Parts: sequence; structure tokens; C-alpha cells
Amino acid sequence: MSATTQPVGRRVSPQAAGVFLKNNPIYLAIALLVIVTSVVEPKFLTLNNFDNIVRQFGVLVFAALGMTFVIMAGFIDLSIGGIISLVAVVTVTMIDKVGQGPAILVGLSVGLACGLLNSILIVASGALTQAESLFITFGMSLVYGAVALMYVQGVTQFLTYSETDISIFEAINSGQIGILSVAAVMFLVCLAVLVVIERRTYMGRAVVLTGGNKVAARLAGIPISKTIVMIYAISGLLSAIGAVVLISRVTLADPTMGTPYMTQAILAVVVGGTALIGGRGSVLWTVLGAFLLILLNNCLNLLGVSSYVQFMLWGVVLIAVIWLDAVKEARVSS
Amino acid sequence: MVVASAPEAPEAPEVLLTINDVSKAFPGVKALDHVTLEIRPGRVHGIVGENGAGKSTLMKILSGVYEKDSGEIVFEGNVIDKITPVQSMNLGLSIIYQELNLVNTMTVGENIFLGRFSESGGRAGVHAKAKALLKSIGSKVSTYRQVSELSVSDKQMVEIAKALSFDSKLIIMDEPSSSLTADEMDKLIEIIHDLKSKGIAIIYISHKLDEIFGFCDVVTVLRDGHVIATRDVSDITRSEMISMMVGRTIENEFPPRPDSAGETILEIKSMNTRKLKDVKLTLRKGEILGLVGLVGSGRTELVRALFGADKVAKKSIYLEGRPVQINSPKDAINLGLAMVPEDRKLQGLLLGFSVEQNISLAVLARLTEYGFINAKEEAAVGDRQIKALNVRTPSGKTKIRTLSGGNQQKAILGRWLEMSPKVLVLDEPTKGIDVGAKYEIYLLMKKIVEGGGAIILISSELPEVLNMSNRVNTICEGRINGEFDPVTASPDEIMAKAFEFA
Repeated sequence: MSATTQPVGRRVSPQAAGVFLKNNPIYLAIALLVIVTSVVEPKFLTLNNFDNIVRQFGVLVFAALGMTFVIMAGFIDLSIGGIISLVAVVTVTMIDKVGQGPAILVGLSVGLACGLLNSILIVASGALTQAESLFITFGMSLVYGAVALMYVQGVTQFLTYSETDISIFEAINSGQIGILSVAAVMFLVCLAVLVVIERRTYMGRAVVLTGGNKVAARLAGIPISKTIVMIYAISGLLSAIGAVVLISRVTLADPTMGTPYMTQAILAVVVGGTALIGGRGSVLWTVLGAFLLILLNNCLNLLGVSSYVQFMLWGVVLIAVIWLDAVKEARVSS
Repeated sequence: MVVASAPEAPEAPEVLLTINDVSKAFPGVKALDHVTLEIRPGRVHGIVGENGAGKSTLMKILSGVYEKDSGEIVFEGNVIDKITPVQSMNLGLSIIYQELNLVNTMTVGENIFLGRFSESGGRAGVHAKAKALLKSIGSKVSTYRQVSELSVSDKQMVEIAKALSFDSKLIIMDEPSSSLTADEMDKLIEIIHDLKSKGIAIIYISHKLDEIFGFCDVVTVLRDGHVIATRDVSDITRSEMISMMVGRTIENEFPPRPDSAGETILEIKSMNTRKLKDVKLTLRKGEILGLVGLVGSGRTELVRALFGADKVAKKSIYLEGRPVQINSPKDAINLGLAMVPEDRKLQGLLLGFSVEQNISLAVLARLTEYGFINAKEEAAVGDRQIKALNVRTPSGKTKIRTLSGGNQQKAILGRWLEMSPKVLVLDEPTKGIDVGAKYEIYLLMKKIVEGGGAIILISSELPEVLNMSNRVNTICEGRINGEFDPVTASPDEIMAKAFEFA
């Protein structure tokens, strides 16, 4: 079991539930949003809208899952926007050269390689603080973005112009496995794997220990460098999976399309309750965080709030959550 | 701040600062116990004492960083109470900390008049005045240089100039020589003589006896928060001073010393770093080896290098007769070495984690099968050590943050005992721990070596080393310079050796 997970689903007294909600106001926020929006807009609670939500935010939730491990270990990854753009253009341009299956593999490999490159730069430079990882990955986001632009000369690549078979992409976008869409199944598989890593494995423990106290963890024999490599590799790979889901849905690859997802992924992780300073968090919390953001976005759309105002609200939410996190952190340590 | 006239008859005119019956307690420690001191103008007053004797606490009370619990401080006939650091400087009481308090990204002139630009005549005025001040102490540093570019010695000059800019009547120097070269030190001594001749009083904190005997007029020995004696330097000998510093009565604080030393288990044939000079050391099975040295003597560097915590290229280590390579703590752990580091909070504890997770840390790899941690085994390890070490905690799942210092330390010991180490390094194992828990830790140490382990014990508390060790090595300026039998050797002898080059 992870370090600080609250036991959910056991015997819960009303007081304990109160304390739990006070410490995790996200559940209240989600409930409130669902109620308010469905009262104002009856269309909200329809299956159709739910499906819409999941498709629209596929790439966000994948990237946010990877970001969770990075933040839990006390680091950050600002390069995922660049990785998503690069993976997208590489994947689409490779389809006609090597076929759709190999093209996806190439795309995923590019994402993994970008993540590994980040981690190598961080380990080799001895950058062990979050601020240092922030600047290194920010620099790399510019590099990946520029490589994507150079690779396609800034030209948008259309999936539908491909001369060969693109059935896998079509299946990811519109296929069903039972009652679930293919993208949803992919997401659940990734989530399940990550939850198991986080809760049950040595590497998962190494991630939170690194975030909790790098110095003490290293002196007790925890391999910090290996952990850094792993978290960035996972972040790169999941961003790449997100990129494949994204191009399947929008049927094109643009060399700047990944940019907005970096902020949103970090937002989802932090809104979910994973501590920005590391050492405490869960991919399951991030799913809730992403869900809250999606709900907020969806309900604002249904209410007809302009997207410009929405951008501002994202910023306000981010600051509010970090503020609350700081207050909570101060209370926990005192 | 309250500055009021002293209610009683005014102090004798030649006394600048009177510290009268001042006490200060921290949770579990009486840092200062009824301390009384008088400081006179134009004299250098040395304050010596072991680590933890109360030197820094006293200075921090004077400069307003801490508040005293009781007693009275009178500066120039005014009772001083609840003072802030800035007010203390304005009164003419400056302190130069060991780590120096300058803003690295600003110029020399700006640092000297920090926060006082406008009243000092703006940019031109600041630099002109700063230049004059530096000149008065014989420093030629340009006031336009950025502080980050200066040597430690020049930074100290800037600090002294800053103190003079407040018209300081008393300057406190906290171990100023710790990072100076011999030449720089000569320069500092010159300045001290110069300040003296201007009638400025200096409190000089040091544990280097040469400096006390070199240029101090009066010396006060502190020990365990008490003033042991204040004497004119001309009236005291070196050995008298050492025995005042270390000689404390030892009652039943310690269990009987273990007697289980066997054949050599660990041998450091050589170890060289910037700090360590050709260190050689042997450790026998079933033995507690005490390592005595001042803070900064290289004692912590030595064990960190042994444990692979710091990278050291030039070293030759033999374990059970075989040469071993230790390049990381993980290597050390795999070989059966364990280390309880000096700073429990920063280097030992994972505060946000449970007691059980803190204990399982060093054996986590052993509890892992195909990458998965065996949760049942982990809980069993936690419970076993909690029981064996008598860690007082509601359960293994409790956050270690909520435990007392002594119980946290026992949990960390449990972390290492679970791997049954061949060699256990304890760096200040009882720092900040109450007496009862200390005794339990001593018993545990005895049990470990009697079970076939071996311990290297580093401690600033000499009685602890003398009563628990089978053998004592002194370390000074990065060299192992003495070996003693703690049963027959006197504390004075050992301390004299540890102070040898100091």
C-alpha cells in the first residue's frame, strides 16, 4: 500500500468521513460540479456526453498518469508537450513508409527515447532538485518542439491522406470492446499497470521514497538514478501513447499540437492531490484530478462560457490548488 | 525591545556587557544554565567549549536570534530584553557568524550598508564610506566587487567593516578561523589587535587552543551550558583548560563495556580526499571503535567515504581480508556495512512515511521478489524491530513523524539491524535524545558487538566514547593521529591529541 493512502471502503465513521473530505476536498468539488451542471443543463448526465468527455481528454489523462510518477518522485516534466508533438508527426509520416503497426511502434519508441534523454541529462548533470529538472525539461521541450517543426517543415500531416491502411487508428478512435471504447480500454490497462507498480513494486516504492527524502533513501541503498530514469521513461512513453490516441481522434498531426497538454497534465496531477514537493500521491488521485478538470471544462462549455475565460479559469484553479497544497503541507509538517 | 535603565546601582564603568544568570532551555536540553559573564572594552574574550557546550546559544541570545528564558543582559548600563537582530546591531553589538551573512549577488559596498542606502548618502555615499571603513582595517577590496567573487578572508573583512559601520562596541566572532589559511589568519589577528586598540571588545569563539593562547586576554570555559571558569589567559595552562572542557562526572549513564573483540574484520589501508590524508584504520569483530575528533576534523567525511556516500577515488578497503570496491551506499549495504548518519532528520528519516516503511528501507531489496514487495514480510520486519528495540509507537503503520527523537532513532537503528550488519557506523547516535533512550541505545550497541558485529562510534560526547569503546582513535585535520585504550587513557590525553593541530 502506498505511503499515505487513506483506507477507503472500510468501516467509515461520520467523523472520519468528515476529516477525509476536509483533507480531500476534490470529492466534494466533483459532486458539486456534477449536481450543479446537471441541474442547469439536463444533457450533461447522458451517456453520449460521457463518451464525449472521455474521447476529448484521452491524451490529457495518459500524459497526466506519467506525470504523476515524476511529481511523486519530487521532479517535474515540462517536455511532454514537445514529446506529444514530435511523436504525432513521426507516427503519421511513418505510416506510408513502414505500415501502420510499425509506425506506432516507432512513435512509442521516440517518446520513450525522449524520456530517457531527459533522465540522462538530469542524472548526468547531477540535477537533483525539482527546479533543476524543471529547467532541463523546459529546455528539452523547446528542442523536441523544434525537431518536430523541422521534421515536417512546419506542415500539418493528415492521417487520412495516407495511402496505406490506417485501420488501427480508426479502431482506436471509434472501436468498441464490449461497452467500452478502445481508447478507454487502453487507458484502463495503463492505469492498472501503473497502480500495481505504485502500490506493489520496489520501483514504485523507490519513486515515493525519492520524493520523500532523496538523501536518506540513497543512504539506505535505494537507486535514485535508476528511479529518475524510470519515471522519465514512463512519462515519455505515456505521452507517446497519448499522442497516438490524439492523432486517431483528430486524424492529423500538427508539429505544435502537444503544447497545451503539459499544463493540463500538471494541473490534473496537482488537483488530484499529489504533493508538488513529492513523496505523497497516487495515479488514482490523478484520475480524479483529470476527471474534475474534464467536468469543469465540459460544464463551462455547456454553460456557454467562452474558451478565453476558460483559459483564465485553468490558471486560477492551478494557483488555488497549489495554495491549498502549501497550506496542507504546512499543517502536515507542523 | 525594552531598553530601560538598570534598576540597581550602575555597573562598574569598565564593564561593557554583563550577562547575569542567563538560562535557556530547549525541549529536553538545558542549553544554558545560569550563565554569568562580564565583557570589558578593548579586550579579546575567548569562549571555548566542546560542541554543544552552549557557545552558539549564548551568542544567538546576544544577537537576538533566540530569547532567553531567565536572567539579565546589561549592555552599556541598559537592560536589554526582547531584542531583534537589527536592534542589536544598532545598539553596537555585532556578530560575525561562521557561515557569514552576506548577500552574494550584491556588491561589497551594498552589503556593508544593506538596508541603509538612503541615510548613507545613496550610491556614491555608500561606496565612499565603505571604502573608508575597509581602509581603516587595511583591506584593499574594491567596494564595487560582487561578494560572490571574494575569498572567505575578504568576506570576513566585509563583515568586520559592516560591524564597524554600526559603530559597534562589541564584535562577536564565531569560529572565524575555520575556513582561513594561515596567512589570512595572520591578517585577521592583526585586525583584532587593531580593533582592540580602538577600545572595541571582542568575543572570540573557538575550539582552537592556539588561538585562545595566541591573542585572547580572557577566556571562559563553557560545558553543558555552565560556565566552568573565567580566567585571564596568562593564569591558565593548556591542560587545565582541556580538563575543564571535558571533565564531567560520569555516573551510571553507561552499561558495562562490551568485551568481545576478535580478529580484524575491516581494514582501511589508505584513504585520501581533499579532507582526508592517508587515513588508515582497522576494526575488529565484536569491537566498538571510538572515533574522536572535532567537528570538521574529517571524522564524518571518513565514514561517509567508507560507506560510499561520497565518491572517493583513492581508497583501499579490505573486508574480512578481501579487497572491496565501495562506490555507492548500495555497494556498502550489499557488503554488509551499515551507517546511521549524523543528521537524523535530513539523512535518516523519511518523515512522511510509516515506522514500518522506515525500518524496511535498507532490506527492501531482500523483501522484493520479481520486483514485487512482499507486504506481509515487510510488516513482519517492522513488527520484529519495533519489538526488539522497544520502539514506542502505536503501530508499525504510524507515521514516524509523530514519534519522539529517541524512538525515531531506535527505528533507524532497527532499519540497519534487520540486515545484521558486519560493520555498523554510528555517527552521533544519541544526539538530541533523552537520557533513558540513550541508555537503551548503549545496551543495543553492546548487544550488536556481542552478537558478532563491529561498530565505529563517532560522537561529540567524549564520555559516551570513553565508556562504550574498546579502542579509541583520534582524528585531527584529516589524519588519524592517535590510538588509545579508553580504560587507561585519561580524557585530557585524548582531547589533547584531538586538538593537536588545532
